[in-house]
Amino acid sequence: MATLNINGTTHQVDAPDDMPLLWAIRDIIGLTGTKFGCGIAQCGACTIHVDGQATRSCVLPISAVSGKKITTIEAVGETAAGQSIQKAWLDQEVMQCGYCQSGQIMSACALLSQHPQPNDAQIDAAMSGNICRCGTYPRIRAAIKLAAKEGV
Amino acid sequence: MNLASGLMKLGLSVITFTYSLSVFAVNLAEVKKGEYLARVGDCISCHTAPHGKPYAGGLPMLTPVGAIYTTNITPDAETGIGRYTESEFAHALRRGVAKDGHHLYPAMPYPSYAKVSDADIHYLYLYFMHGVKPVRQSNKASEIPWPLNYRFPLAVWNRIFLDKQTYQADASKDASWNRGAYLVQGLGHCGACHTPRGLAFQEKGLTHASDHFLSGETLEGWSATNLRGDHNTGLGRWSEADILVYLKSGANQHSSAFGTMTTVINNSTEGMTTEDLSGIATYLKTIKGTNDKHQKPYQYDPNATQAQFKTVTSYPGARLYQQYCVACHGQDGKGVAPYLSPLAGNPAVMDPDPSSLINVILNGSPQLKAQGVAAPFNMPKFRHMLNDTEVAQLVSFMQTAWNHPLEATSAQDVAKIRKLAPSAH
Amino acid sequence: MSQGLIQALADQYTVANPPRRQFLKIAASVSATAAGGMVLSISLPALSQSKQTQAYSELDNGKGVLAPNGFIRIDKTGEVTMIMPKVEMGQGVYTSIPMLLAEELEVDLHTVKLEHAPPNEKLYADALLGAQVTGGSTSIRALWEPMRQAGAVCRSLLVTAAAQKWKVAAASCYAKSGVVYHDASRRTLSYGALVAAASQLPVPKSVVLKDPKDFKLIGTSAKRLDTPDKANGQAKFGIDARPNNVKFAVIATCPVFGGKLASVDDSRALTMPSVLQVVKVDNAVAVIGTNTWAAKRGLGALEITWDEGKSAAVNTRDLIQDLREAAKKPGAVAKKTGNAASAYKKADKTLSVEYEQPFLAHATMEPMNCTVEVSAFGCDIWVGTQIPTFAQGMAAKILNMPVEKVRLHNFLIGGGFGRRLEFDGVVQAVKVAKQVKGPVKVIWTREEDIQHDMFRPYYFDRISAGLDAQGKPVAWSHRIVGSSIMARFAPPLVKNGVDPDAVEVSAELPYALPNVYVDYVRVEPRDVPTAFWRGVGPTRGTFVVESFIDELAHLAHIDPVKYRLDLLSPSPRLKNALQTAVSKSDWGKPLAKGQGRGVSVMHAFGTFLAMVVDVTVNDQGEVKINRVVSAVDCGMTVNPDTVIAQIQGGVIFGLTAVLFNEITIEHGRVQQTNFNDYRMLRMNESPAIDVHLIKSAEAPGGIGEPGTAAIGAALTNAVFSATGKRIRKLPIGQQLKA
Repeated sequence: MATLNINGTTHQVDAPDDMPLLWAIRDIIGLTGTKFGCGIAQCGACTIHVDGQATRSCVLPISAVSGKKITTIEAVGETAAGQSIQKAWLDQEVMQCGYCQSGQIMSACALLSQHPQPNDAQIDAAMSGNICRCGTYPRIRAAIKLAAKEGV
Repeated sequence: MNLASGLMKLGLSVITFTYSLSVFAVNLAEVKKGEYLARVGDCISCHTAPHGKPYAGGLPMLTPVGAIYTTNITPDAETGIGRYTESEFAHALRRGVAKDGHHLYPAMPYPSYAKVSDADIHYLYLYFMHGVKPVRQSNKASEIPWPLNYRFPLAVWNRIFLDKQTYQADASKDASWNRGAYLVQGLGHCGACHTPRGLAFQEKGLTHASDHFLSGETLEGWSATNLRGDHNTGLGRWSEADILVYLKSGANQHSSAFGTMTTVINNSTEGMTTEDLSGIATYLKTIKGTNDKHQKPYQYDPNATQAQFKTVTSYPGARLYQQYCVACHGQDGKGVAPYLSPLAGNPAVMDPDPSSLINVILNGSPQLKAQGVAAPFNMPKFRHMLNDTEVAQLVSFMQTAWNHPLEATSAQDVAKIRKLAPSAH
Repeated sequence: MSQGLIQALADQYTVANPPRRQFLKIAASVSATAAGGMVLSISLPALSQSKQTQAYSELDNGKGVLAPNGFIRIDKTGEVTMIMPKVEMGQGVYTSIPMLLAEELEVDLHTVKLEHAPPNEKLYADALLGAQVTGGSTSIRALWEPMRQAGAVCRSLLVTAAAQKWKVAAASCYAKSGVVYHDASRRTLSYGALVAAASQLPVPKSVVLKDPKDFKLIGTSAKRLDTPDKANGQAKFGIDARPNNVKFAVIATCPVFGGKLASVDDSRALTMPSVLQVVKVDNAVAVIGTNTWAAKRGLGALEITWDEGKSAAVNTRDLIQDLREAAKKPGAVAKKTGNAASAYKKADKTLSVEYEQPFLAHATMEPMNCTVEVSAFGCDIWVGTQIPTFAQGMAAKILNMPVEKVRLHNFLIGGGFGRRLEFDGVVQAVKVAKQVKGPVKVIWTREEDIQHDMFRPYYFDRISAGLDAQGKPVAWSHRIVGSSIMARFAPPLVKNGVDPDAVEVSAELPYALPNVYVDYVRVEPRDVPTAFWRGVGPTRGTFVVESFIDELAHLAHIDPVKYRLDLLSPSPRLKNALQTAVSKSDWGKPLAKGQGRGVSVMHAFGTFLAMVVDVTVNDQGEVKINRVVSAVDCGMTVNPDTVIAQIQGGVIFGLTAVLFNEITIEHGRVQQTNFNDYRMLRMNESPAIDVHLIKSAEAPGGIGEPGTAAIGAALTNAVFSATGKRIRKLPIGQQLKA
C-alpha cells in the first residue's frame, strides 16, 4: 500500500513497490492524460512533476514517491507556468496528434519554472528527452519562447 | 562474444531427465546433484551459442590472439562427449586435456576445476551423460592463426600454472567458509573473470593466499570488479547479506548485476542454495582488500553534482545524464534500489577501469531473470544514441559525480570498447 | 496516397472481398488531369434520398433533430454536432472538415461539437478511397466538395424553413452564425428554433456552393478544434478507453515472423499478485491483470516456448540477396516511352547505379492497443483506427457474429502514418477478449510495437541514364524491386504485375525525357509483413528519382537546380515551386567547409513541392541539418496553418528515417527494440523549417505525406554537396564516419 499525493489529492494505492507511477496514475487512479510511450524513460510521453521536477513516470517506482507532491497534466494548468505554457501551445498551434504533448507540456513547464527566460541551449537540454513523431519541435520551441516572453 | 544476448533466454528448465535413463540403473538423485553442480559451474553460459541448443557449444570467446569457440559437451557420441569415460571427463575438467589428448585452451577454467572433488566430478559426469539431451553439432575450429594455434605449448603452460591438487579444507575455518572457498575457487570459477591474468593468460592467483586473487580484471571489454574487501572498489561496504541477496536476485542496495554477470546470475547463482551462497558470502568477506589501500574511504556527497544540474548547459556530461539516465538513476545517483541500480558509491562505477561502465552504456544489459521472474527494469543500450565523445562525457561525469574520485574517460577508451563488443547490428 | 492507391482501394472494396462490400458503392468518378490533379464529380449519400428521416434515423434519436445527412446534427437548442467521417491523427481533419461544413452551414466554427463517425460505409465511405478509410492524404481532396454540399444542404433546409414560416421568398433570406435573417422585415430565427420545421422538409436535389472568393472561413488559419483537450490531458486516445471493470493485457508475440506459440508454462505467473489469467492465441500469449504493470510482470514470469518455424534463420542479408537476384531479370513494364535501350547505347555519357531503402517501422507515439469486450450482447471495440468498417468486419468474422452486433467506438489516434490502416491489432485483441470475461485492454509494449509492426518494405532499385553532349538525359531506365503492399491490400489494382504504389513517381516523372523504361519486380520478404508508411510510393520513388537526377546534374557539370528547371517544362506548377523554394533559400551562396546544400522536387498526392536543405557534416561524419526551405503548391487550402504544420512535421518524419532508421532482421527477429535503438530526431537536432505556400486556385492537393516524401533526396543531395559522398543506401547512419 502506497500513499500518493497526486494533484493535491491523497490516494491509497494497493500496488507492489516496483510499480511505476505511470500505471498507478493511469490504471488505478484513472487519470489518463499521462501517456505510455516507451517504458524505458526515453520518449518523455509519461512526464509528470515530482516536487516540481519533471521526471518520467514509466520507470519511477511508487516506493520512491511516497509523500512527495506529484502533478500531472490534468492539474498543471493550475500553476502559473502551466497556464502560460498551455496558452502558448494553443496560440502556436503546436499540437498535431497530441499523444506526446502532455509530456512535452510537463517538461516545458518545469523548464519555465527553473529558467523563466530560457535560451535555445536550455530549451534543447530540457526538451530533448521528449520525442514527437509528428515533428512539432519548431512550434514547441516557438511556444516556449512565446510563453517566456509573455511572462509567467 | 555475445554471451549477453542469447543465453539469458536459456533457463535450466529446458534440461530434463529423459535421456539415456534406461541404459543403466542411474541414480536419479545423483544426476540431480550433477545438474545442480553444472549450474554452480555455469557450464551452460559458455557452452551454448546465441539461439543455439543447450550445451552444444559454438559460443565465440575472444582471446588476444583470435576467437575460439566453445565445444559441444552434450552426450552425443560423434560430436559431443558421449564416448568419454568418467576418468577422461575428469581429465578434461581438471587437467584441460581432451579425450584425444589435445590440450584445451585455458579459456576453459580447468585450473579452477582442478579443485573439484572426485565426488562432484562423478555427479557432473552422470548429469552430462544422462541428464543432458544429446545434440549433433560439430565443433567449430578456432580462429587463432598459425603458429599460435599450436597447442603443445599448453602442456608447458600446464606444468607451470596448473595446481593439480583438489580443494583442501582449512580446519581453522568453519564448514560454511570452507564450502564457500571450495565453490569460489573451484566450480564457481569466479577468478576466471575476477582475477588478473599474467602474460601467459594465467590467473595470477588461484586462492586467497594471493593478493591478486579476485582483485578485478578486464576481459572482453568488461571490467570484472574487485571482489576483495577493498572499501571503494571491492566488497568492503557490502555485508554478507548484501552479497547473498545480490547472487540470489541480481541486485541489492549497492548495485545491480549487469553485462556478463547477469548471465551468471540467470544461469547459475539465482538457483544456488542459500547455504552455498552464504558460504560464498562468508568466504569473500574474509578476503582482505589490497587495491584501495591508498584511497580515502568513499563518502557520499551530492552537493557539487547538484550544482551542475542547475546549469546543465555548461556541463555536457551532466546534460547527457539529465537526458538519458536521470529518470532511473536519479540526480542524487541513488537510483531506486534494488529495482534501479544506485550509481553513487557503486563499486562498478568507482572502478578505475571504466570498461564496464562504458560497455553497459553502449550495450545495455541482458534481462535479469531470477526465480523465474524477469526483473522489473532493464538497462537499455545507448550505442545508437550516443557517440564516443558523448559516452566519454557521460562516463567522466559519473566518475566524478557524487564525490567519486576518478579520472576522466576519453573518447578513445569508448571507441575501443565499442569496437570490441559490437552490437548485433 | 496517390491516384494508384485510391483506385486500388476502390477496386478492392467493390470487387474483391471486403468485410462489408455490400454497403460499398463508389459514388465518385475519378480522373487524372494531365498535371495529375483530380477532377471529381460526386454525389453525397444524402442527396440521393428524398426523405431525411429513413436514412438518418439512427442519428436523429427519433425526434426534433435536424440531421439531413450523416455529417451534421442540430438540436432544438441550436447545438451543432458534426460527425467526422475521417479520424483525427494529427493531420488536422477535425478542424478542416468542420471548416468545410461550417463555411456553407454558416455557423461559428468554435461553437460546434465533434463526434467520431461510427462504422457505416453507407454514410461515410470516402468517395476517392471507396471505403470508410482515412489515409493517403485524401481527406480534403475527397471531402472538399461533399462537405460543403452537406453544409449547404443543411443551411438551405433551415433557410427554407424560416422563409416558409415568414411566408417570404427563401432567396430574400440568408444565414449567418447560426441564425437566419430576413433583412427586409428585420426578422431573425435561430437554427434551434427552425430545427423542427426544417427536419420535415425534403432534402434539396441540388445546392449552389459559394464561389471560393466568398469564403469566409476556408483559407483562413482557424484555430484547431481538437487541441484544447490535448493541452490539458482530457483528449481521449484509444489507449485511454476505460470501460467499467476493464482488465489489462500485455502480450508477447512470437519473435520470429511466421512462428507460433508451442507451449507456455504459466504456473509462476499465475501466483503473482493481480495476475488474473494467461491467454493463448495462435502466435502469441497474453497475461491478463488488474493493471498493465501486473500483466507485464506476469508476462516476465512465463516460460514460453516458440515454434519458430521456417524463418528462424532468416536475416536481412538473405532478404537483400533475394532482391538482388530478382533484379537480374526483367520485371513488369510500368512505363515505356521511346527506346531507352538504344538511346543509352548512343549516349555521350552514361551512369548506372543502385539504391537501397530499408525496412521501416511506423513507431507511432501511441503504442498499438485495442480494448474489446465480447459478451452475449455482441462485441464492443474501443480503438483508434483508420479503417473502422474493416476492423468491425474482421471482428464479426472472428466471432462469427453479425456485423451489426460489433460496435466499434473510434478514438483519436496518437499517430497513424499508415500503421492504423491495418487491423492486425484489433484481430489479436478480439482473439484475446474472446477468452476473457468483461472488457480487456490489450497494450503492446514499445518493444512489441516495433518488432511486430508491419514494415515499410525494403526496396532495391537499379537505375541508368545516358546523357547527350549537352548533359541532357536522353535515356532513362529504372528497375524497382520489392514487396507489393498493394497485392495484399488491394490486389485487383496490381495489373499486369505492376504495383502502382511501388512505381509511383518513378513511372510518372515530371521531367521531359524522350526515352523512358521503368519496370517492377515483385519480391516479398518471406515472412516479414509489409505495409504502407507515410508518403507511401512517393517516399521511395522520390528518393531514387531525385537522387539520380542530382547525380546526372553532377555528371553533366550543371547546377542541380538549373538542371531540373531545364527539364521541368511539362510541369509548370512544379517548376514554379522549385523557383519559389530556391528564391527563398540561399541557393548559390558560398558554403563553408563541411557544409552542403541539396534540392529535390516532388509531384504526388495532387501537390507540388520543392525542398532546399542546408547541412553541416562534422569530422565525426555526423549530419546537422541547419535549415529546410520548402515551397508548396497544394491548390486551394482549407487551413493554411495546418498545411504548414503538416509540411514541417512531414519533413521531420522524413529526416528521422533518412538519418537514422532501419529495421534489420537476424535469426528471424527484428533487432531493434525501442527508441534507444530505433532513433528519433529530437528537439536539439531539429532544424528550422520554412514553408512557403504558393497561392493557387487549383483543386486542393493532399498535405499529410508530401513533406516526408520529398525531403529524403534533398537531404542526401546536401550531404553529397558537403562531403562528395553519394548516399545510395538509406539510412545515412554511420556511412559518413571516417
